[in-house]
Amino acid sequence: MTAPRELDPVIHAQARLRVVATLNTLGEANQIAFPGLRELLGMTAGNLSVHLGKLEEAGYVEIVKTHKGRTPTTYVSLTREGRRAFEDYTAAIRELLDLE
Amino acid sequence: MDPLEDDDRPLRPEEMLRLIEEQQATTSKRLGGDPLLTYTPWGIAWAVGFGALFLNYTYGFLPRGAALSVLFSLMILALAISSFAQRTVSSQVRGESAERGMMYGFAWMFGLGGMIALGVRLSPQLPADETGLLWAAGSMTVVAALYIAGGAVWRVRTMFYLGAGVAVLNMIGVVVGPAAHALLMSVGAGGAFVAIGVVQRVRRDGA
Repeated sequence: MTAPRELDPVIHAQARLRVVATLNTLGEANQIAFPGLRELLGMTAGNLSVHLGKLEEAGYVEIVKTHKGRTPTTYVSLTREGRRAFEDYTAAIRELLDLE
Repeated sequence: MDPLEDDDRPLRPEEMLRLIEEQQATTSKRLGGDPLLTYTPWGIAWAVGFGALFLNYTYGFLPRGAALSVLFSLMILALAISSFAQRTVSSQVRGESAERGMMYGFAWMFGLGGMIALGVRLSPQLPADETGLLWAAGSMTVVAALYIAGGAVWRVRTMFYLGAGVAVLNMIGVVVGPAAHALLMSVGAGGAFVAIGVVQRVRRDGA
């Protein structure tokens, strides 16, 4: 078993990696509503909230609370640092695989 | 084990890479909508509607107005189904892509609106066969141009080629005449859209 070196610990975790991969696919300048993200990931609301909290703490995601009509809505998007971290992580993983 | 801790556990690099690829594929698939609902309803509308119009021109089956009504009702239904298919997950996204989708939707409304205005104005002045061709070829010109534009907006080559194919068949049909136009649209455009919808859906689910 390889001990991964220099892999970003924030996203070197299955759930958070999937969150970041999903947000990255949405493309820059796009935000997704919390329920939509939950649906794409198949996670429970509680679980997703915890992971989003950790990603927000690291500065990788931006969480905007707003109102759609009268209903409060939460939108999530990847920050520039988050996008960079995901790209670096993917590159690091590919490098590791090439070395093996 | 606590599911949260299980989620947190990293996997081996190749598994993490596969996780990324799978998640990206799922996301694109869900945001892109169901190809069976995007393309096939249009194909059925044209196969049946233009088929009815062809039978009218060639054998005199069905009144002309009835054939055109079938065609336009099925096209409106197809527009409703395909826009619904695009709106499922993508309605959750706001920002640039939502704005593009909205503007593209308006392009359909204005394009078809202009076509309808032209048809209403010119129909009484034209011989019966040419009236049918005006409505048919006019609406297919809008459809072809907007599929090509849709291909450009979302960088989807299938959309581009379908639009270009419809445009070519449409031009040939207009030159040859109403019956040939109806046949080309029914078999060519209708057949292609039904086939692409089915093939892409099967391929997507198989992938």
